[in-house]
Amino acid sequence: MLSPLIWLPITGALLIAFLPTQMTAKQARSGALAIAGTVLLWTVWLFTQFDLGNATFQMQEFLPWLPMLGLNYDLALDGLSLMMVALNSLLTWVAIYSSPDKTERPRFFYSLMLMVSGAVAGAFLAQNLLLFFLLFELELIPLYFLISVWGGPKRDYAATKFLLYTASAGVLILIGFLGIAWFGHSFDFSYESVLQVQLPLQAQLILLTILIVGFGIKVPLVPFHTWQPDTYVAASPPVAIMLGGVLAKLGTYGIFRFGMGLFPEAWSIVAPGLATWATVSVLYGSITAIAQKDIKRMVAYSSIGHMGYVLLGASAFTKLSLVGSISQMVSHGLILALLFHLVGIVEDKVGTRQLDVLNGLMNPLRGLPMVSALLILSGMASAGIPGLVGFITEFLVFQGSYSVFPVLTLCCVVGTGLTAVYFVILINRTCFGRLDSQTAYYGKVSADERVPAFVLAALVVVLGLQPSWLVHWSEATSASMVAAIPAAETVQIAEAIPESKL
Amino acid sequence: MPTATSSKTLPPSSHAFADIIHRLEAGGSMLPDTPDNLKQIIGIYKAYAVPMDFYWRGLLYISERVFLNPLPAFKYFISDEYLDRPNAYAGDNADLRIWRGQADAHPELREFMAKGELKRKLPKWMHHLWHDRINMEFAEACMQAMFWHDDINPKFNAYLDSDAYKANADGAIRAYFKGNPAMLGLYKLFPDLFLEQVKRLSYYANLGLFWEVMAPVFFEMSDLYDEGKLTTVPEAMDFLVNGIFAIAGRPIYHHLYVGDECYEIIPKSEGFTWLYEAALPYVEAVFYRTSPFRGTKSYNAQAGQVPSEPKDFHYGILYADLFPVGSAGIPPTLLMQDMLHFLPDYLVEEYQQHTRGADDTLIQLGVTFQRSMYNVTSAVIQALRTALLYPLDDPNPQHLKANRDFFEQQLDRFQRPEARLKDIQQQTYR
Repeated sequence: MLSPLIWLPITGALLIAFLPTQMTAKQARSGALAIAGTVLLWTVWLFTQFDLGNATFQMQEFLPWLPMLGLNYDLALDGLSLMMVALNSLLTWVAIYSSPDKTERPRFFYSLMLMVSGAVAGAFLAQNLLLFFLLFELELIPLYFLISVWGGPKRDYAATKFLLYTASAGVLILIGFLGIAWFGHSFDFSYESVLQVQLPLQAQLILLTILIVGFGIKVPLVPFHTWQPDTYVAASPPVAIMLGGVLAKLGTYGIFRFGMGLFPEAWSIVAPGLATWATVSVLYGSITAIAQKDIKRMVAYSSIGHMGYVLLGASAFTKLSLVGSISQMVSHGLILALLFHLVGIVEDKVGTRQLDVLNGLMNPLRGLPMVSALLILSGMASAGIPGLVGFITEFLVFQGSYSVFPVLTLCCVVGTGLTAVYFVILINRTCFGRLDSQTAYYGKVSADERVPAFVLAALVVVLGLQPSWLVHWSEATSASMVAAIPAAETVQIAEAIPESKL
Repeated sequence: MPTATSSKTLPPSSHAFADIIHRLEAGGSMLPDTPDNLKQIIGIYKAYAVPMDFYWRGLLYISERVFLNPLPAFKYFISDEYLDRPNAYAGDNADLRIWRGQADAHPELREFMAKGELKRKLPKWMHHLWHDRINMEFAEACMQAMFWHDDINPKFNAYLDSDAYKANADGAIRAYFKGNPAMLGLYKLFPDLFLEQVKRLSYYANLGLFWEVMAPVFFEMSDLYDEGKLTTVPEAMDFLVNGIFAIAGRPIYHHLYVGDECYEIIPKSEGFTWLYEAALPYVEAVFYRTSPFRGTKSYNAQAGQVPSEPKDFHYGILYADLFPVGSAGIPPTLLMQDMLHFLPDYLVEEYQQHTRGADDTLIQLGVTFQRSMYNVTSAVIQALRTALLYPLDDPNPQHLKANRDFFEQQLDRFQRPEARLKDIQQQTYR
């Protein structure tokens, strides 16, 4: 049931890459799109099979692989994985759809995109720590090529930086996983088995710290973020959609699944520190975004801020905050993908992403009015304007976190205010003002280019108006995760820390 | 055919627009002579002529019939009498037949008035409220510009302030409100208010009479182009220059009709002429100056963004940025919308091939209109040079120098950064 999410894209990637026939860029794109569409439909079908009331893992698949190493092909799904897999399937389809018809070396490009999608889906479904690690690493190489071959200026630099950072993250994650085996005296890496391992608190704290840093690089959290703006800016829009929309979620997913899930006692101790870290990320990302002149870089820093909300909700670990955090991952993925797609269109048509140069794109006759309107919508969603998906997810995080970390939550609320500031700057400079009649000979935005934006915008609006369609999938999982953590102790710790230190 | 070379007896001009000055000295236009420019300007003259046929009839209808109606809700619903009103310069029974064409309203105009853009016959008020009609607001904005810039028409304005005019206006007002004690009472209380409105209506008549000439001129230019008799931009300009001289002395007047009675507010005998009291003020007020229109840009007068002297205004079509902002636009935006309905097929086809095709035809035709108005302005400059200075082939270098000084002085006005003279030199400006 779950394997097609991994093997359909990977088989498709191999077919597109090695099929011994001539293939035009359009044909390669159509093929990739068909595969991604099938995976998306399969994911939709999984939703119909998912048991909402069941908090445990569902649709388990097990195949012994290398039992002596504790590595088995072990897949399963809970509310958290379901949301991440759905995001991955949707954004893969969107990213492929938004790829230009004239992409160079198209077979290689679409193969790599599908390879990334399959590996990421596998990582979200893996119930074995080593399997997760393998799939986590598997997406690294295709992404390196996607950035370094199809990226913009400074792509080599960005790709190398991405590779170094993500490989370092992988090393830390592997150390963390091996540490569990070492401290637990068991080399069974299946998630269920590891859950049963009782580790001393000190060991838990060490391993949790290693894993949080490892996954924190992937998210990224300040100060491990410096690869991210360079990579997002250098990557082509479809790759940026995958990077920001899906890959970043591997980091937060890892923190949830292997940090909070495996070390609940240690988690309750480090939670205040994590909440502070999240707040620093939120404020740093938002303030730095205000100073940016390149829209893509602004969106990249905005992403750092928004991923901070996810960590804040996880740190608070109330049911509400966890549901909010999981939903925020989806919401952020949708909004970021929409923003990157729109910025890609602006760059393609106008030839620049510089806020100092762009102006008046709302002009109905010679501007990009529909793109501008959607840019405004995505800015509003990102800033948490009610009625849009960003509002409900941020509100859930804040509502769930306020009782645990009131001051830090309020600081993060200030972060949403700062989000409004930089998006107003972006929209004001890009969409409004006077279009320069001397230079405004921009190409028309085709219906094909609008489709991904309409799909994402519709989801942003619909899920904002009917949030239960987004949040109820992960409610049972969140409740079970919260139940596993000794909350009272956390509250005591939180209360023991003077408010001034929060 | 004129070439862009300097007169042999004068050294080359060192003006920023030296090439264009040399072209004017060779009898050319400010607009480069290219087949594409010719096609564009003639096509747009035709598209302009049809709404213009409505504008002049509407302006005269308002000045002569609607007059001081306190509730002029139907002032744009001109009567059949005015649609049938024979043009004084075209048609078999014209007072002074100079141009071909028919005397009454153009058939395309009649069809559009009947069915509009919807192509469905609906009650007139429905077309009006749906804005599926000719935008008389554009004509009124032009009239307002002429009225407001009161330094550009000294002789005419002096007459509007004269006792003779006041007496004529007084008689007309009393006749118009005869049997209406309320309005007559108001008139007694606020005579200057009523007089000011009559002056404005005199400008309606002024502009209406100006456009009564221009409509058949543009129709004929379109016909000549279709027949292959207009082949260059200078020929098109010369046609305008010749027209200006043919018509220069025609009277500008303002009559009011109450029933069958005619009241002469500005009698023809006052000697106001088409060239000096209508054409030249129109070019100055509408092509060059106009005013900072609401909605196009947030002008901050306190920050010095609006010149303190109206004579320094440069917001006309020769300077206009044709991009509407949001849903707002400059008056040419309304005209552009009007012209859109009457574009000849070859121009529609041309616009399809450039920039965004059908999606931004409005902008493309606006740019074409700008080109065509630079050609009309060239005709006015050449006509003034002919009237006030010397022939282009004058053997006397002093005379040629005087001509050059005149051209340079005229082109100085296009050295402002917002002027579009530089842009229209490029075929890529669309």
